[in-house]
Amino acid sequence: MTTEMTRTTSRILLLPILMVALGVLIKGYADVGDGFSAGVIASLGIVLQGVVFGAKEFDRLPLVRFAPLATFAGLFIALAVAFAPVLFGNPIFLHQPVSGAEAQHFGALEFITPVLFDIGVFLIVFGFCVGTIGAVARETVRQEREQEQLARQRLEARRASLEGRNAP
Amino acid sequence: MPDIITNPNLAVVLLCAAFTAPLLTTLIGVWRPALTGVAAIASTAACLAIVGFSYAADPAAIDVPWSETLGLRFHLELDGLARMYALLATGIGLLVVVYAYRYIPLHLAHHHRSLDEQPRFFGFLLLFMAAMVGLVMAADTILQFVFWDLTAIASFYLIGFDRDRANSRSSAMMALLVTGVSAVLVLIGVLILRSELGTYAIPEMIVLESDRTVVGVALGLIGIGALAKSAQVPFHFWLPNAMAAPTPVSAYLHSAAMVAAGVFMIQRYYPMIAAFDWLLDAMLVIGFLSIAVGGLISLTRDNLKQVLAYSTISQYGYVVVMFGLGNEYGLNGATFYVLAHALVKSALFLTAGAVTEATGATQLSKVGGLAKGMPLLALGSGLAAAGLIALPLTIGFFKDELFFAAAWERGPGFGILAVASATLTFGYVARFWTGVFLGPLRSDPRGVSRFLTLPVVALGLATLVFGFWTGPMVEIAESAATMPGAEPAQIDIAYHLDARHENVMALATWALGIALVMSERWWAPAARRVTRIGDAWGPERLYQCTLDGLQAVSDRIHQIEVRDLRSRVATILAPAGILVGLAVIFTPNSDAFELGGLERSDLPLVLMLVVTALAAVAVSIPRAHLRIVITTSCVGFSLSVIYALLDAPDVALVAVLVETVLGVFFICMLLLMPASILRFETREPAERFGVRRDVVLAVITGATAFLVVWGVLSRPSPSTELIDRYEELTPLAHGRDIVTVILADFRGFDTMGEVTVIALVMLGVMSLIRKGRLR
Repeated sequence: MTTEMTRTTSRILLLPILMVALGVLIKGYADVGDGFSAGVIASLGIVLQGVVFGAKEFDRLPLVRFAPLATFAGLFIALAVAFAPVLFGNPIFLHQPVSGAEAQHFGALEFITPVLFDIGVFLIVFGFCVGTIGAVARETVRQEREQEQLARQRLEARRASLEGRNAP
Repeated sequence: MPDIITNPNLAVVLLCAAFTAPLLTTLIGVWRPALTGVAAIASTAACLAIVGFSYAADPAAIDVPWSETLGLRFHLELDGLARMYALLATGIGLLVVVYAYRYIPLHLAHHHRSLDEQPRFFGFLLLFMAAMVGLVMAADTILQFVFWDLTAIASFYLIGFDRDRANSRSSAMMALLVTGVSAVLVLIGVLILRSELGTYAIPEMIVLESDRTVVGVALGLIGIGALAKSAQVPFHFWLPNAMAAPTPVSAYLHSAAMVAAGVFMIQRYYPMIAAFDWLLDAMLVIGFLSIAVGGLISLTRDNLKQVLAYSTISQYGYVVVMFGLGNEYGLNGATFYVLAHALVKSALFLTAGAVTEATGATQLSKVGGLAKGMPLLALGSGLAAAGLIALPLTIGFFKDELFFAAAWERGPGFGILAVASATLTFGYVARFWTGVFLGPLRSDPRGVSRFLTLPVVALGLATLVFGFWTGPMVEIAESAATMPGAEPAQIDIAYHLDARHENVMALATWALGIALVMSERWWAPAARRVTRIGDAWGPERLYQCTLDGLQAVSDRIHQIEVRDLRSRVATILAPAGILVGLAVIFTPNSDAFELGGLERSDLPLVLMLVVTALAAVAVSIPRAHLRIVITTSCVGFSLSVIYALLDAPDVALVAVLVETVLGVFFICMLLLMPASILRFETREPAERFGVRRDVVLAVITGATAFLVVWGVLSRPSPSTELIDRYEELTPLAHGRDIVTVILADFRGFDTMGEVTVIALVMLGVMSLIRKGRLR
C-alpha cells in the first residue's frame, strides 16, 4: 500500500509528464529528444499510476486498454510515411516538402513528413511499453483472483467438513 | 474505347485470371461451401478460354522493370511453348476440377471430415494452376524461380490434404524437400547465368549462344532441379509417395502439371542446353535409367495409383531421352510426347480414382472384370490406354512414331533401346487395364457419379479424335517446339502403310509387349526381387537417413539449448564470444590497443567509470531477484551519466529512459513468476559445476567485449567525412537536432526496421501472456 502523499503526487504529476512528453516529441527536430524518448516518457507517466495505485486500477485506465492498438496505428503511420512516396514514383522516405523548400511553422514544430514518422515511432514505443506492462498487470490480477477463489473454495470445503463432523 | 479493352495484353489477362481463380474460389467457398466446386469450374473454364483465345491472337508479352538497380523485371511472354503448357494446365485442370467437384465431397465424407474443407482443396489446386501458368509465361529467371517455388508450396498442401494421416504428411514433406531443395540448385544456376551472361532475361540469354563451361555447369544445376521436379532417377521416389494425395491431385500434378513443369524448364533453356554435348548425354543416361527403373517397378506394383506413378516416371524418361537425343526430331518429339501423354495419363489416374470409389479397392489384385459394370469408364480408359501404348488411330501412335524416328536417327543401338522401353510401357499399361477391366469379377462395383466417368470418357475420346484429326495437336506442338529466333518447327505425322523403320519398330513393340504380358508368370518373381532390393537400398533410403540424421542433430542442439535459462543464454554468449575473440586475434591490430593520456579535466569521467565498473561487479553478488534488477539498473544509470559527460545529451536521455523502463519491465516479469519459485531459487545454493561454467562464460564474453571496445576506441574515428556531411545536410532537412534527423530521416529505413521489430515483439508478448488478444 502506498501513502496518501505518493498517491496525490503521482496523480498531480501525470499531466505534467504527458506535457513534457508532448514537448519532447514536438521539439524533437529542434532540440534534444525524439519520438522514442517522448514515447518512453509518456509511458513512464502512465506506468507510475500503475506502480502507485496497483495493477487493478492500472488495468482500468482506458489508455492502457487501447495501448496495443496505438502500436499498430503507429506502425501504420511509420510505414505509410516510408512507402507513400513509392506510389508517386519517388524513392522511399522522400520527405515532403523536399529538402530546402519552405515548410509550414507552428512555433518550433515544422510540418514535414519525418515529423509524422517520429509521431509513428512515438505511438509504437508508447503502445509497446504501456501495452506490455498492462498485459502483465492484467495477468497478475487474474492470477490473484484465481488464488483467492481457490482459497475460498478450500475454506468452504473445510467449513463443510467441520459442520459434517459436528452434525450427529 | 481504351486500348486496354479493345486490344488487351493476353499475358497479363491470363495471369490475373489465373491468380483470381483461387482467391475467388476460396472466398466463395468460405461464404457458401456448396458453391466451391462450381466457382472452381467456372474460373478454370475462364482461364482455359483465355488460353484458347490466345491461339487466335498474336503472341503477347509484357516487360516492366520493377527493381532496376538489381536488373529485375516483371517479364512475361506468352509464346508457343508457354501457350502449350498453359493449355495443358488449364485444359486438364478443367477436367480434373469437374471430376473433383464430385470426388472431393465423397472423399471428405469417407474420412469423416467437414465439407467446409472444400475451399482449402480447390483453393490450393487453383493456386497450383496459377503458379503453373505464371511459370510457363515467365521470361525473367527470378520471376520464373518464384513461380517454380510456388508450385512446390501449393503441391505440399495438395499432397498433404489428408493432414490427419501421418503418411500424407510425410509424403507432402518429402515432395516439398526434394523439389524445394533442388529448386535451390535452380536458383544457383540462375545466378551463375546472370553473372556470366549479365542478364536475367531468358530470351536475351539465348541470343548470346554461349558455350563456356561455367554456363554449362549453371544449366546443369537448373537441369538437376528440373529433373527432380519431373521425378527422374535418382529423385524419382517422391512421386510414388505423393500418391497419398486425393486422386484428382495425383491426376493433375503427376500427369500434366507438376512433373510437366520439370521438362518445361528443360525446354525453356533447351536452345542453350543443346550447345553442350555432355549435358545431352547426361540426359540420355538419366532418361533411359528412369524408363527402366520406372517401367520395371511399375510392372511389379499392386497398388493402382502406384502402377501409374511409376509409369509417369518412365514416361517422362522418354521425354528426357528425346531431349538428350538432341536432333530436331528429339525436340519436336519431346514436345508432342508431353502433350499426348498428359491427355492419356490423366485419364488413367482418374480411372484409378473412379475404380476405387466404385469398389473400395486400391489394389490391382482386388479388382477385375469391371468392363461389364462400368462400360463407359472401360471405354474411356481403354482408349487412353491404347493411346499410351501407341496403338494406331490414337494420338498416342504418333508420340511413339516420333520417339522411334528420333532414336533410329541416332543409331540402331538407340533404336533397340527405344523398342525395349516401349515394350515395358506396353507391359505395364496392358497389365493395368486388363487387370482392372477384364478377367473374373472380384468386387461388385457401386454406381458412381457421372462426374467421375465423363472426364475420363472425354479424355479417351480426345485421344481417339486427335488420332484422326491431327491438325490442331500438330499446330500446338509445332508452335511450342519452335525455338526463339529459329525457323518454325515442322512435325510431319501421318499413317504410312509401308515397312519404314518406325512402323517396324512399332510392330516389334506390340509383339514383344504381348509376349511380355503373356509370360508374366515366369519373370514376375525375379522382377519383384529386384525391385525389393531397390526399395531397401535405393535413394529413398538415403533421403530417410539424411532426414533422420539432421533431425537427431537438431534435437541434440535443441536439448542443450533449452535445458534451462542459463544454457539458453550460454548458447548465445559462448559462440558469439568465441567468434568475436577469433576475429580479434586474426585481425591485424598493430595500431590498436593503445592507452591514451589522462588529463585533470577527465577526473569526473574516470570516477564515473569506476562507479560503473563497481556496479557491474556488484551485480554478481546479490541472490534476491529484485536486488539483482536494481544493481543492474545501477550500471545503466551510471553509464548514462558517462554519456552526458561526453557531451551526448540525446544518448544520455535515451539511456536514462530505457534504463528506467527496463527496470519496470524486469519487475513486471518477476511479478508473473510464482513467489514460491522465486523464494526457492534465492535460497537454493548454486550447483558447483554451474558456477564454474558461468564464470568461464562470463570471462570469455567479457574479455572479448573488452578487447573489441578497446580496439575500436583506440583507433582514430574512421571517417569524419560522413559526420561532416550529416552536419551539412541537417539544416536542409529542416532540422536542428542532428541525432533526431539521422534517426527519422537519414537512416529512416533502419528506424523503420527497428520499430517494426518492436511491434512484432509486442505481438509475441501478447500472444504469450494474453493468448493473442490485443485489448
